[in-house]
Amino acid sequence: MKRKWEKSKSGLTLTIPSIIFVFSLLIYPIVYLFTLSFKEYSPLRSSEIKFVGLENYKWLFTSEQVGHSIWLTIVFTVSSVLVEVIISLFIAVLLSKLMIGTKTRTKSTGSKIFYSIFLLPFATPAVAAAIAWKMLLHPLFGPVNDILNKNIAWFTNYPMVSVVIVDAWKMIPMVLFLVLAAIMSIDPDQFEAAKMDGANGFQEFIYLTMPSIKSVLSVTVAFRAVDAFTKVFDVVYMTTGGGPGNKTEVFPLLIWKTAFSHLHFGKASALAIVAIIISSLLGILLISQGKIKHGKSN
Amino acid sequence: MAKAIKKSPTWIILILFSLITLFPMFWMLISSFKIEQEIYLEDPTWFPEVFTLQNYKDLFTKFDFGLLTINTVVITLTVVLICLILGTMASYGFSRYPFPGSTIALGALLLTRMVTPSALVLPLYIIMEKWGLLNTLTSIIMGISVLNLPFVIWIMKPFFDDLPKEIEEAAQLDGLSPFRIFWKIALPLAKPALITVFLFTFIAGWVDVLFAMTFSTVPDAMPLTMGLLQMQTGYKVYWGPMMAGGIYVTVPTFVLSYVLQKYLIAGLRSGY
Repeated sequence: MKRKWEKSKSGLTLTIPSIIFVFSLLIYPIVYLFTLSFKEYSPLRSSEIKFVGLENYKWLFTSEQVGHSIWLTIVFTVSSVLVEVIISLFIAVLLSKLMIGTKTRTKSTGSKIFYSIFLLPFATPAVAAAIAWKMLLHPLFGPVNDILNKNIAWFTNYPMVSVVIVDAWKMIPMVLFLVLAAIMSIDPDQFEAAKMDGANGFQEFIYLTMPSIKSVLSVTVAFRAVDAFTKVFDVVYMTTGGGPGNKTEVFPLLIWKTAFSHLHFGKASALAIVAIIISSLLGILLISQGKIKHGKSN
Repeated sequence: MAKAIKKSPTWIILILFSLITLFPMFWMLISSFKIEQEIYLEDPTWFPEVFTLQNYKDLFTKFDFGLLTINTVVITLTVVLICLILGTMASYGFSRYPFPGSTIALGALLLTRMVTPSALVLPLYIIMEKWGLLNTLTSIIMGISVLNLPFVIWIMKPFFDDLPKEIEEAAQLDGLSPFRIFWKIALPLAKPALITVFLFTFIAGWVDVLFAMTFSTVPDAMPLTMGLLQMQTGYKVYWGPMMAGGIYVTVPTFVLSYVLQKYLIAGLRSGY
């Protein structure tokens, strides 16, 4: 008994710093946020904090702006994840052909070079990616318009498409690496066997590759979707700023702007609580699906 | 030979895709060496006609990049230290010495990995204001650290779970304290996971925009990312220095990812 207590104690000394840190800077703020969501507080305008009951939540569920924002976030999530997965799959299959073809299966120089190239978008800070694309898609002196021989103001006329393009550019490598790793772990003899049976590339993809990577793919898609839905902020903020109008005002951005542009801390808190509930539910769903043991996407 | 021809469409598509992938940063790089008039040409030039380093010089003379670099380095290294020290200790504790309620604590910690960062930034802002920490690097460091600590535990705990326990048990019989066992035996074995976690927390600290732009309005407590954002003012966008600055902030994270690519992929596979 004493030994067991000793054990618990040493466990606690190791974990307690993290627990205190997370409690004071994560759990406590969320509780505070919850209380603030029943109040009206507009700093700078007045220091008064007024209790308004469910007023903020009533606004939230009836506001067209909020509904629109959630809809935009869904559109963004679905389209960016779709684009990312389809392109990644296609490129990963091609890349694996080069790698599996070699006798030793060690990475050829060619595939090493491709690897390094695909590292670039991943390693590029979002702020740098955003300004690079602002330059590329600039209506007057951007090279994309020059190549297309058009005069399109991309971030104004096609804001959501442009934002998805930037996000896809940045995130495709990540999905690509995961899918490629999954394909490379398929036993090469199976590809040989498929070839012997006279399967063409398409049949091989449908009957061998896809079933073998299905579980990795679904975990990747689930993670990417949750991340896209809950964390899309940087790229949108720095390219369109949510505009024009509110055409790209995705949910995380709406929370931030409600708080720090419009200074409605109460309303922003209610929005934030909703965001936390949604992300927690999605998180619980992901973990409880049993697809993911934490730290190991199987 | 026949095989090579059969493979050539694959090569063409891959090369084309690589060029598209490289293009944004290539364009940024060449633009950073152009003089202002050339950047504004409606028929953009593919290579600088007049090569200049002025944009890079401007970063330091006009846009305070010296100070901002120091700030970013301080933010990044502190975030890495906090996350690594607290995170590895906690992961080891959760793995080896479960206590009543530790699974719940762990579950709660992991769930916070999913929390929308911009939802958290508001209450943290109010707390930092109360503590008088707005416009300090400390507030930015705390914000980034607390959001990344759960990820560290997410990666490290299963790693410790998989380490063989025999050596540690022997050390325990020799009378070593749990903390010394952690420090002397488990931690050195966990080096690969540590490097992975180092890489991801470094990037998280280096690229942060959200906490910096919310908590800080003074150059003394601003990272490079904010410096870049401020080059787009209401009446003028400083395209040249902005391109140079974009390259400047990208080089460290790219070099690090390139050198540690093995660990990067391991990290991605563990569900970053």
